[in-house]
Amino acid sequence: MGKKNANVRMSLQTLRVLEAFLENPTEQLAGADVHQRCGIASGTLYPILLRLESAGWFVSQWESVDPSTAGRPRRRLYRLTSTGLRRASEVFASFNRGVLA
Amino acid sequence: MSQRKGRSMHADLNGVTHWLILHAARRAPESLSSRLQEEWLADLESRSSALSRLRFAVGCCWATLVIVSDYSRSPVPAASSAAAATRLITFSDRNFGYFSVRSGTVFIVAGLHAALFYGLITTLSHTRGLATPPNLENHMLDPVPPEKLPALPPGLEIKGWTIDVQKLVVDVPPKVDIENDVTTQGDEKTPNPYSSPLPPEAPTHVVRQIAGGPGAGFPDTADFYPSLSIHLGEEGMSTVRVCVDPKGKLLSDPTTVKSSGSARLDEGALKLARAGSGHYRATTEDGQPVNSCYPLGIRFRLKS
Repeated sequence: MGKKNANVRMSLQTLRVLEAFLENPTEQLAGADVHQRCGIASGTLYPILLRLESAGWFVSQWESVDPSTAGRPRRRLYRLTSTGLRRASEVFASFNRGVLA
Repeated sequence: MSQRKGRSMHADLNGVTHWLILHAARRAPESLSSRLQEEWLADLESRSSALSRLRFAVGCCWATLVIVSDYSRSPVPAASSAAAATRLITFSDRNFGYFSVRSGTVFIVAGLHAALFYGLITTLSHTRGLATPPNLENHMLDPVPPEKLPALPPGLEIKGWTIDVQKLVVDVPPKVDIENDVTTQGDEKTPNPYSSPLPPEAPTHVVRQIAGGPGAGFPDTADFYPSLSIHLGEEGMSTVRVCVDPKGKLLSDPTTVKSSGSARLDEGALKLARAGSGHYRATTEDGQPVNSCYPLGIRFRLKS
């Protein structure tokens, strides 16, 4: 994405995506995996993933497999950054306290 | 055969799905186009059913629109540190509602379709009503209750309606006998205020009636002038009712119908009427004498 945009719109779908990653913060998830966990449609999911990556909350990389050997295209895997992990934790903590900011 | 057709349909849907994803990726920003294409095609492999793959592809088209929209906005400068990033995240910009831009657009499109559908339905139904004649149906109407008339005064009862048809008669002026000073006032039924204004009916037979009266040989009034009345100077006219047969004879005893004001003069008039029996001129209808009753005025007047 190149540009870093920390201004993330916290929609309900964004929270559900973050929740899916917070279950195991070190795990790398593809878009299809996130869809299976939180059930968000692709039209909403991929823009959220790109926004969070642009904000520096996520980093993404290609799956390290050979498509010809695997018999399928490479998947794009997303992972929480340290910044993203802290910010996501703060967001959910604020909700648990009942205070938004 | 059916399996072949199913496979063919599956292949067609698969082709459409791939075409949608490639089309969506091409419309994405150039820096993301190839990445999104490979990413979406890889994630597409995780979908098993054709319908799920189609939904995924359509969602990718929508995602492209959102991503392009996000890229067109002026980007916020990147945070230099974690603290700066914390300040830059504006919670006031949070949208916790269930209606995102996508959902709102879907609702708007659905609303427009519903409005268009409703408009078509109402317009077509109106047009059909104009183009085709309405069905002819018999409707049983409830009988209309009779209109209530105002209450009649107590004691008054209407038993029915009758229409009186006046018999058209020719009003014959009464014949005046000047010599005997006795005048006939004609039949009681003769004066008919409604007979004159009615136009004559040509085809109807009109009975030509001539009222009777004193005839030849009728007694002189002076012979029956009461002597006491002459002495007292009483004058006046008494009207008696006489019934006469075709021969001029009385059918019944005459009666006083209008007094002269003097019992003596009334009695003298009755005697005169009785004495004139056989000398009355009978009433004729179409020239034929008939039984009739009519008033007869008898005036007693002293000669000066």
